[in-house]
Amino acid sequence: MSNLEFNIKDIENISKEEKKLREENLHHFKQIGFPSKKLEDWKFTDLNQIIEKNFNNLDSNYSSKGINNIKKIKDFKHNSITLVNGILKTNDFEHEDKDKIKINKYEEKILKRDEKSNPLINLNNALFDGGYCLKIANDYKFSKPLIIYNHFSDNLENKILNNKNLINLGDNSELEIIEISSDIEKGNFIQNNYTSVNIGENSNLKSYILQSCKSNGFFYKFLKGSLGNRSNYDELILSSGLKFNRIEENIDILGEEANCSIQSALFLNKDSHQEIKTKINHLKPNSKSYQKIKNVLNDNCKGIYQGKIYVKDVAQKTNAYQLSKALLLNDTSEFNAKPELEIYADDVKCSHGSTSGSINEDSIYYLMTRGIRRKNAIELLTKAFLSEIISSISNSEIKIFLEKYLDKQIYEY
Amino acid sequence: MLKINDLKASVNSKAILNGLNLNINAGEVHAIMGPNGSGKSTLANILSGKSGYSISGSIKYNEEDLNSLPIEERAQKGIFLAFQYPLEIPGVNTNNFLKTALNTIKKARGEDELDTLTFLKLVKEKAQELGIDEKFLSRQLNVGFSGGEKKKNEILQMKLFNPKLSILDETDSGLDIDALKIVAEGVNSSKNDNNAFLIITHYQRLLDYIKPDFIHVLSKGKIIKTGNSELGEELEKSGYANL
Repeated sequence: MSNLEFNIKDIENISKEEKKLREENLHHFKQIGFPSKKLEDWKFTDLNQIIEKNFNNLDSNYSSKGINNIKKIKDFKHNSITLVNGILKTNDFEHEDKDKIKINKYEEKILKRDEKSNPLINLNNALFDGGYCLKIANDYKFSKPLIIYNHFSDNLENKILNNKNLINLGDNSELEIIEISSDIEKGNFIQNNYTSVNIGENSNLKSYILQSCKSNGFFYKFLKGSLGNRSNYDELILSSGLKFNRIEENIDILGEEANCSIQSALFLNKDSHQEIKTKINHLKPNSKSYQKIKNVLNDNCKGIYQGKIYVKDVAQKTNAYQLSKALLLNDTSEFNAKPELEIYADDVKCSHGSTSGSINEDSIYYLMTRGIRRKNAIELLTKAFLSEIISSISNSEIKIFLEKYLDKQIYEY
Repeated sequence: MLKINDLKASVNSKAILNGLNLNINAGEVHAIMGPNGSGKSTLANILSGKSGYSISGSIKYNEEDLNSLPIEERAQKGIFLAFQYPLEIPGVNTNNFLKTALNTIKKARGEDELDTLTFLKLVKEKAQELGIDEKFLSRQLNVGFSGGEKKKNEILQMKLFNPKLSILDETDSGLDIDALKIVAEGVNSSKNDNNAFLIITHYQRLLDYIKPDFIHVLSKGKIIKTGNSELGEELEKSGYANL
């Protein structure tokens, strides 16, 4: 995109030092611009081209005022955080001991210049406006899940939103988060999000990310995670295909006997572009990682999975598993997988695999001989393919909710 | 109910059926026997609507041209094929599948759809009649089922959907003698004046339990002989070679 006239001066209340860091980051961004295929990490996704095609005169000035009445789900009791256009608006922890929870607008001033080769992080560093900062004390187990309502207003045409979030879960603590994005906005916009997640020793964090195809958002999310000793991180992504969605995760397993699991059930409907890129860094012995990425792709969709497992020399007895499976519903869709292993320890178990194929015509025929229409047969098979991911969820309320959500994505698009 | 006239079918220009004629009336049980490769399964596939065949000749089902009906409409209008090799469909729950199929068929026939409780009661009852363990119904469709269990599951569907014309494609193959009796009993108890059965088999064995009104011998894509149940016994003794 030729027009990269973003500037820092509109951001209020920042120190000289921070302004300087932001400017440096903006400078880095402007040198490269939005990522294109020329960057190895973006070889399957030419974001620059996608932006050229869908936006003109992107800018980062928008208002999030005057938005109320966000529809909450009634399926189960929960705590909530509401973000409007990425900015923390309200929170409600009625089911919890509030002394154990600190929630405020993201105001961390430290801007490390990590991930230098990633221009979107540079842009985020330069322009970000707070999302949330959630800190959970040690020895605290949430009694109810937390839903993050990620609401976008409908005045965001040609806007780019840059936000940061932070979750710190103390030692011996537990939390389940469900992030739900709204899909009511009218114009195309971009959200460029950077989220940090730090999980303390013996703690469990479960995270469910739900996105619906009706959104006009183009989403980029970078998640930087760290896991302490014997901690568990379980993430599940349910997305029905956005115009553009790239979730990038870089997770450091800093503790021994820690487990990291990333699974996805993605149903890409029409003209959507969905990429998951992960890097799991096994840095201590006896840790496990598990990744299962399932995609169903419909008309004109592109799905990508780039998964890297890195095992440091000291990280003996690492057990890392990675699998991507794609089901292509017609020949206008495309799935790319790039698994990578980089292993420096000699006593490890690492495996990766990738399959993609078209839907089984014999199965469709069988179902049709039972009176089921072809369209419904395909829906049944799509659900069958994806629901495996949900079947492993232990919280039955969440499981039922996600089943319903998945049905809605498949049957009502 | 079914009138097949001079049916010819080929796959990739290889002729399989060469002018087959067959009439089936309501209330009748027909058996088709024949050696391997005579076209038995092709006939079953064509009746169910499987694609991939070049077809000529006419097939009338209740005065309607069957060839112009899509697969699912044939099922909705009462044609049921019990598969020779029922498919395993991972991830599809058997009960969900049965309910979806049954309600689709009921809806198409203008009948009331069943709610979950009524459905479960019905399916449980039918499963019991066939000696199907209830736990199979909550498993994935045919996944990990034995050959016999898969075949019983086909008969369960037949009993649930209440078809007008049931085509059983070698349902007896792979069944032990007890399962065979149960399957035969499933057919016999479904039989009435308004429905009909077309039973495709290699062996006389199944016909000891299901008494057909007619036995047809299919050879090289044509019916070469039609008789009553004695024909089956004759074939069992002397084989197809002498015909």
